[in-house]
Amino acid sequence: MLNLEDHREILNQSGLEMFQLVRKQFIKSKEAFLNHDNDLAEEVLHTENRVNGMDLKLDRECERFIALHNPVAGDLRFVLALRKINFDLERIGDHAYGISSYIVEVDTPVDKEVLDKLEFAEMYKAALSMLDDIRDAYQTGNTKKARKVFKKDKILNKINLNSFGVISEEVQKDPKLIDQYLLLFSVIKKIERVGDLITNIGEEIIFYLEAEVLKHRKKKGPSKPSK
Amino acid sequence: MSKEKKESVIESSIKRKYKLQAKDVKVWYGDFMAIKGISMDIKPNKVTAFIGPSGCGKSTFLRLFNRMNDYVDGFKMDGEINIDDKNINDKDINVELLRKQVGMVFQKPNPFPKSIFENVAYGLKIQGLKDKKFLEERVVNSLKRVALWDEVKDDLNKNALALSGGQQQRLCIARTLAVEPSIILMDEPTSALDPISTAKIEELIYKLKDKYTIVIVTHNMQQASRISDNTAFFYLGELIEYDKTNKIFTNPEKQQTENYITGRFG
Amino acid sequence: MNNIRKNRLKDQAFKIWGIFCTLLGLVLLAIFIGNIFIDGIMRIDWEFIMNLPSRKAEKSGIYTALMGSIWVLLLTTLIALPVGIAAAIYLEEYSKKNKLATILEVNISNLAGVPSIIYGLLGLEVFVRIMEMGASVVAGSCTLALLILPIVIVSTREALKAVPKSIRDASFAMGASKWQTVYHQLLPASFGGILTGIILALSRAVGETAPLIVIGALAYVPFAPSSPMDEFSVLPIQIFNWITRPQHGFVENAAAAIIILLLITFVMNGIAVYFRNKWQKKFK
Repeated sequence: MLNLEDHREILNQSGLEMFQLVRKQFIKSKEAFLNHDNDLAEEVLHTENRVNGMDLKLDRECERFIALHNPVAGDLRFVLALRKINFDLERIGDHAYGISSYIVEVDTPVDKEVLDKLEFAEMYKAALSMLDDIRDAYQTGNTKKARKVFKKDKILNKINLNSFGVISEEVQKDPKLIDQYLLLFSVIKKIERVGDLITNIGEEIIFYLEAEVLKHRKKKGPSKPSK
Repeated sequence: MSKEKKESVIESSIKRKYKLQAKDVKVWYGDFMAIKGISMDIKPNKVTAFIGPSGCGKSTFLRLFNRMNDYVDGFKMDGEINIDDKNINDKDINVELLRKQVGMVFQKPNPFPKSIFENVAYGLKIQGLKDKKFLEERVVNSLKRVALWDEVKDDLNKNALALSGGQQQRLCIARTLAVEPSIILMDEPTSALDPISTAKIEELIYKLKDKYTIVIVTHNMQQASRISDNTAFFYLGELIEYDKTNKIFTNPEKQQTENYITGRFG
Repeated sequence: MNNIRKNRLKDQAFKIWGIFCTLLGLVLLAIFIGNIFIDGIMRIDWEFIMNLPSRKAEKSGIYTALMGSIWVLLLTTLIALPVGIAAAIYLEEYSKKNKLATILEVNISNLAGVPSIIYGLLGLEVFVRIMEMGASVVAGSCTLALLILPIVIVSTREALKAVPKSIRDASFAMGASKWQTVYHQLLPASFGGILTGIILALSRAVGETAPLIVIGALAYVPFAPSSPMDEFSVLPIQIFNWITRPQHGFVENAAAAIIILLLITFVMNGIAVYFRNKWQKKFK
């Protein structure tokens, strides 16, 4: 018979584990991409199993928690949020996997100039900082940190939007490179998606801590003080 | 309509928003202060649940509304208890009449050691109603309302004590309904029953909401969340939080409330 | 293992001792009744019951004493029952449970243990002399009523106490007044216990000798009472009287009268137990 508090702590730690795992996947896939490191990419592909396994485990644990303890109020919001966060983290892991599989398939590394033009470094930097913010927010129960990601996501969206123009310009200059550019476009889209997923996680964390539902709402500025 | 008439109509309809009302109520048993100043308004035709750890005063508070505390030695009270805007502790209130308006169901089923028929008809008999046909009608009606009719219709003269616990409790509810109260107070009505009987009675309570105002004291958190519209959390003689049930169980305002309903204490 | 054997031995030992003690009382009672039976059974016939007492043993009968006993019993019941039950209801249901009530309760119990001759003296002074009832049936009944009053009150109170509080709660919550609750719920529910108490009390009354002698019940009464103000005698006194006579015939008479007295007692008990059981079945 597992005590509710202990059980909740186990879930919490599992959630944190998932965060760490997915974060590592994302960082590795970034390194692999920016440095065209084949070995690192293979590592990411290999670790995907663990991510999936973790996802299933966490899902099962959440179900068990609900069945055994009939949670209400804070406990209920916690487990509902965790299920969604788990789902979003798994998708982030998927994107990291996707980016890494490109590296493995494509032989030639991308031109450094092109990477700069498309602002890959900035994009990745923003995404990574968002990931760190959201992990901290989860770990420390800090909604202020959670709210930071909404603003940072705008950077990702902006870069994504710009990339259309840049890519179409470059393709017109040298149509032979269209394959490469399509690939880059995919990766940009993936990173932009990761940003969206992180904002989702942010909403869930705010829901859990403040019982405020931000889904389908415009994100406003100052936040309510948490309990 | 003249201005004054309009205002009084509005006023009275606002007033009637509350069926039961407590205003700064304090209760002592001898030197012990059981209720430390509670004010509360209970809406008509709703189920209101009182929750809280043992000894927090919720049963005492419940019994104020039908003045059953009057029989406890050393009971003393301050403040107002109003039903339909009338203070029920006024000198000119007939307490027996009050109890016909406000019925009560107890924790342990307590049917009288008489027949089923006698049990349900008791409340009417003590009012002096003797007409056989009338009594029969009311008894049958009440038994039907609590879904007991089919189970007992073959022998209404059977001793009530021969029924099962769940049946006995439904009989007690039928007995209360027979006098046509407008308010029903329930003090942990299902805590002595098995889950199936409990479910039957919860269903009954839900159906009764249409015609009656129901206040139920319960230890069972799930029960409170299942059947009540509003929930009041009591602790050590104080009203800590009182709000819509949905709010209390998804996002209570007070940390104490959250701690209690999530089982962290009590 | 030794401990278990010891315990088992203790168990057996007590069982045997318990049986012995039980049988002792029963056996002695059986011997006593048997003796009386042997001595008196032949004497009982219709004449014995209908005859007035006389100096000649063969002609003596218990008619006057029997009638006297019946009169006194009935009148005592009529006086003690309503008063005792009402007092018990008041004390148990109506009065506040304060220090005064406790003192009252203790004292009523004590009264049950007061030697019956004291009641006799009280009855003599108050009923016979002050109230000028004379040595009459009514004086005797009043005295005995006082005697058994504590028993009636205490046992009625116990019977009422045994009715669970939940019944009272339910009745009050339905809007019944205290009296309605007592009348409709408590008295019917405690009837069995009350009846038992009454039997106990009356059984005691029917066998009382000393108080009645003190207030002046006669040993030799040539007529049965025809009104409450008449002089009277009762069976126990008649028995006592016969036992003091030297003639053997009177010993037989006394034995026969004892049998009649015992019969009355047993029948009374039997009827009451029968009714009590019948009533209890209703409520279980």
